[in-house]
Amino acid sequence: MIRVKGLTKRYGHITVLDDVSFGVPDGEAVALWGPNGAGKTTIVRCILGFLGYEGEIEVNGVDARRRPKAVRQMVGHVPQELDFYDDLTIAETLELSRRLRAVPGSRVGEMLELVDLGAHRTKKVRELSGGMKQKLGIALALLADPPVLLLDEPTSSLDVASREHMIEVLEALETEGRSIILTTHDLDEVGMLVSRVLAMEDGKVIQECAPSELAERLGLRSWLHLIVGQDQQEAAVELLAAHGFRAHTNSAGILVEVSAQRKGKALHTLQESGFEIVDLEVWR
Amino acid sequence: MTRLVAASGALAFALSLAPSAAADQAPVDLQRLIDEAEPGEVITLDADTYEGGVVIDKVLTLRGEGWPVVDGRGNGHVIEITAPDVTVEGLVIRGSGDALDKEHAGVSGDAARIRVIGNRFEDVLFGIFLRRGDGSEIKDNVIGSKDLFIARRGDGIRLWESHSSTIENNVVDSGRDSVFWFCDDLIVRNNRVSNGRYGLHFMYTDGSLIEGNVTDGNSVGTFLMYSKGLTVTNNVFSENRGPSGYGLGLKDVDGAEATGNRFLGNRVGVFFDNSPSERDVVQHFESNVFAFNDIGALFQPSVEGNLFSENAFIDNGEQVATDGRGDLEGNEWSVDGRGNYWSDFAGYDADGNGLGDIPYEIEDVFSDLTDSYPDLMFFQGTPAARAVDMAGRAFPDLKPEPKLSDDAPLVEMPGFPAAPTAEAAASNWPVAVVSLALLGFAGGFIWLAGRRPGSGTDSKVLPA
Amino acid sequence: MTAATAPAGIDSSAVSERVEPRLVGVIALKVLREAVRDRWFWLYCAGFALLAAGITTLALPDTEVVGTGGFGRTAASLVALVQLVVTLMALTLGARSLAGERESGTLRFLLSHPVSRTEVLLGTYLGLGGALLAAVAAGFGVAGLVSSFRSAVVDVGILLKIAGASWLMALVMLGIGMLVSVVVRRTGAAMGAALLIWLGLVFLGDLGIMGTVAATNLPAETLFAVAVANPIEAFRLTAIVSLEGSLDALGPAGTYAVDSFGNSIGWLTLGVLFAWAVAPMVLAWLLFRRKKDL
Repeated sequence: MIRVKGLTKRYGHITVLDDVSFGVPDGEAVALWGPNGAGKTTIVRCILGFLGYEGEIEVNGVDARRRPKAVRQMVGHVPQELDFYDDLTIAETLELSRRLRAVPGSRVGEMLELVDLGAHRTKKVRELSGGMKQKLGIALALLADPPVLLLDEPTSSLDVASREHMIEVLEALETEGRSIILTTHDLDEVGMLVSRVLAMEDGKVIQECAPSELAERLGLRSWLHLIVGQDQQEAAVELLAAHGFRAHTNSAGILVEVSAQRKGKALHTLQESGFEIVDLEVWR
Repeated sequence: MTRLVAASGALAFALSLAPSAAADQAPVDLQRLIDEAEPGEVITLDADTYEGGVVIDKVLTLRGEGWPVVDGRGNGHVIEITAPDVTVEGLVIRGSGDALDKEHAGVSGDAARIRVIGNRFEDVLFGIFLRRGDGSEIKDNVIGSKDLFIARRGDGIRLWESHSSTIENNVVDSGRDSVFWFCDDLIVRNNRVSNGRYGLHFMYTDGSLIEGNVTDGNSVGTFLMYSKGLTVTNNVFSENRGPSGYGLGLKDVDGAEATGNRFLGNRVGVFFDNSPSERDVVQHFESNVFAFNDIGALFQPSVEGNLFSENAFIDNGEQVATDGRGDLEGNEWSVDGRGNYWSDFAGYDADGNGLGDIPYEIEDVFSDLTDSYPDLMFFQGTPAARAVDMAGRAFPDLKPEPKLSDDAPLVEMPGFPAAPTAEAAASNWPVAVVSLALLGFAGGFIWLAGRRPGSGTDSKVLPA
Repeated sequence: MTAATAPAGIDSSAVSERVEPRLVGVIALKVLREAVRDRWFWLYCAGFALLAAGITTLALPDTEVVGTGGFGRTAASLVALVQLVVTLMALTLGARSLAGERESGTLRFLLSHPVSRTEVLLGTYLGLGGALLAAVAAGFGVAGLVSSFRSAVVDVGILLKIAGASWLMALVMLGIGMLVSVVVRRTGAAMGAALLIWLGLVFLGDLGIMGTVAATNLPAETLFAVAVANPIEAFRLTAIVSLEGSLDALGPAGTYAVDSFGNSIGWLTLGVLFAWAVAPMVLAWLLFRRKKDL
């Protein structure tokens, strides 16, 4: 259970989190979704006690400001920047973490197996690829089998195969009654892993909904690639611009920026004015 | 068991005492023995304890065998000698009074030709104090002190108006001073004086020979005052580090000749105060070693007339310095074209004649500063002081006038006989052991700390 | 709020927010291991040991001629070497410590575990202090070994006393360095600040007093008070006291100190060192604990 209430973070005059409130019950995974700079990672760091903040954060009823150690005891964290000790090997890194968390030594081997790093256990962190570091990060986060997981872009560095494996791992975790916060900018990942999405922009939560509703609720923009008659291209672009669309020609046709709910409107505008649309594609 | 043997006469006396020598008997009355002895007699004492506070007022020899103890029990002199030609030999002399104004001593004498030979002095205020003891001999004694604050102790040996006496092979430890005053033509040889205030202190002792002595660990090693024609050879002055801390001090001394001495690790190796005091007198310092002293040789600013040649100045904090602002113009640093060896000489000898081709000069900025501002001595040896000197070498404008110039510096250290204390120079195994332990500790510590942990921990279940 | 069911049975109420020695130890060992694997550590150690060996060799040229004296001068040179090298080593080790971890992001890794900032600070101090202990022991071990072949008057007790005082001073400098590391965020800037502090304490402070003495005839007691406040001077005076039993050799200011403090002068200088060992660390702790943002 994570409860965030009125969370605000300012650096001087710059407000990076503005009165954010949400909750994550046990057994639920919630995504913080948004572009870079929206404040997702800042929330994670506030929960971990890396940053001072205004507002309240509680993890399983424990105040994060007053009892940061107790909170961190309950939290597994996959950081966005995978900064581990370069000179330590994978096994040494896990061993250090194990000792700091007072976890039995057998867990190290289990985690290595889980993230498929057993063969690389004596490699130093500095020799690892981004994907391997991310696996190490996940292994570290799961080492103590914590009730709360903060996964900060946990799959961004993985290749396609590892990523699917990791998503399976993470999906399995959710069912064990944990509270999970996942930050991502990838909508597909959101769809697979979480039941609820908090969309963030400029330090605020701008939407809260199921993953499937997200695109529409946010008015996500995409591009329509329209093929019209060669000689009609210029006129079509002018018409669209006059109706408030951003549009331009490219080699094969016209690109029109549309919001999720207005794809048809662009087509309708053109067809009303007599343009023949030969073909169309939606580009994200 | 024979308690007492009278060597001549007094047989009856011996017979009367010998059978009653059981432990419950009253101790032998030494004063009665002395009183009843004939002049010229030799009284031999066996190993036992005799009551001190005795007065010897006739020619007599008091000789111990097996270290008999004469104990003054803290009252007055242990043995007082008022007649000439008395010999005290082979005794443990213990427990004088402690009144400095009464000069309580182990042996206090006021007569000529007193011989104090091979005794051990313990818990005495003064050890041996002779007045008007011309031609006396003080040899082979080991002299301790009372356990008092040093200014409240007495002198290990004190001679007054005792010309032509010989003080030889004595070991004096932890006394206040050993003082010789108004005693011409002394021979002071092969004594060792340690841990006192003034090791050897000479005042008005013209023509004396000071040879082969070791004064170490005193406040001041040896101080010569108001004397002419002294010869100082082959002595060791080491680690004398009191507030003044001179290995050898000279005040108003004229015509001293110092050769073959070693000045080691003193605050100041040798200190010249108005010596020579007379205009046309010169003194020679030749073939001495000045090493590891804070200051090798220190001069009051106006001192002149000292000639230095064939000496070695090795790694003294300051090789030569003046006490206050001034130069050393009136002293010579080479004699007949031969100067001294200086460990910090940075010159060269291209023509191979054993002499540096450029003069050795002392022109350190920092020591120049301390001459003007003695308070700055506080910083001697600090990195900051060294930086000042380096700045002086880098920027010649900062350099003061050379304080001293040796025009013929020796590039090789001249040969010296081995130091009298060299037998102690064998390797120092306690330090070696401790050093190896330190290294072992450091190595083991680093090895243990640097080991890679965590290999193979997955099979090992550690308690949480 | 009701306590959630924690899958692994983690009982958060069992976690103490107090300093746990076990965690401090884990961090100290990690820091120590890192320190002794660092090439700078080896460079400093090698430099210190070589210079110490060189000083000892050069300062004791020929026992045949000069007898067994000279340890005093050797020790004085060793003390100056410690003032230069060990201080710099300790200051830079301290200055790099937290700033470096902050810059490389590993501080966040460490603090994502159930450890407090106080534990991280203490563990780092102890780990680096241990590394410095090894460096000091190695340097004095080499110096002692060399001198043991050349002189009989080296006193084991004095050697150990000066080595101990050197370590204490290294801890002082480590604390100052770590304070810098807490205050200054970038490693480069922290190292620069450490270097400035080193210059100030080793050279500029003394030079400033010297200039003041020359210009204003500063009284001896003021000179002593100002000088002894400098931990590097307090270390030197501690070493001189253990070597000589007094400060008489240091001219009027030394005589003043002996007259005023007598036999307790060594305790005074040692006290200054201890104060310096504690104060910057306490300040660093307050700042590191209060400073919310890593």
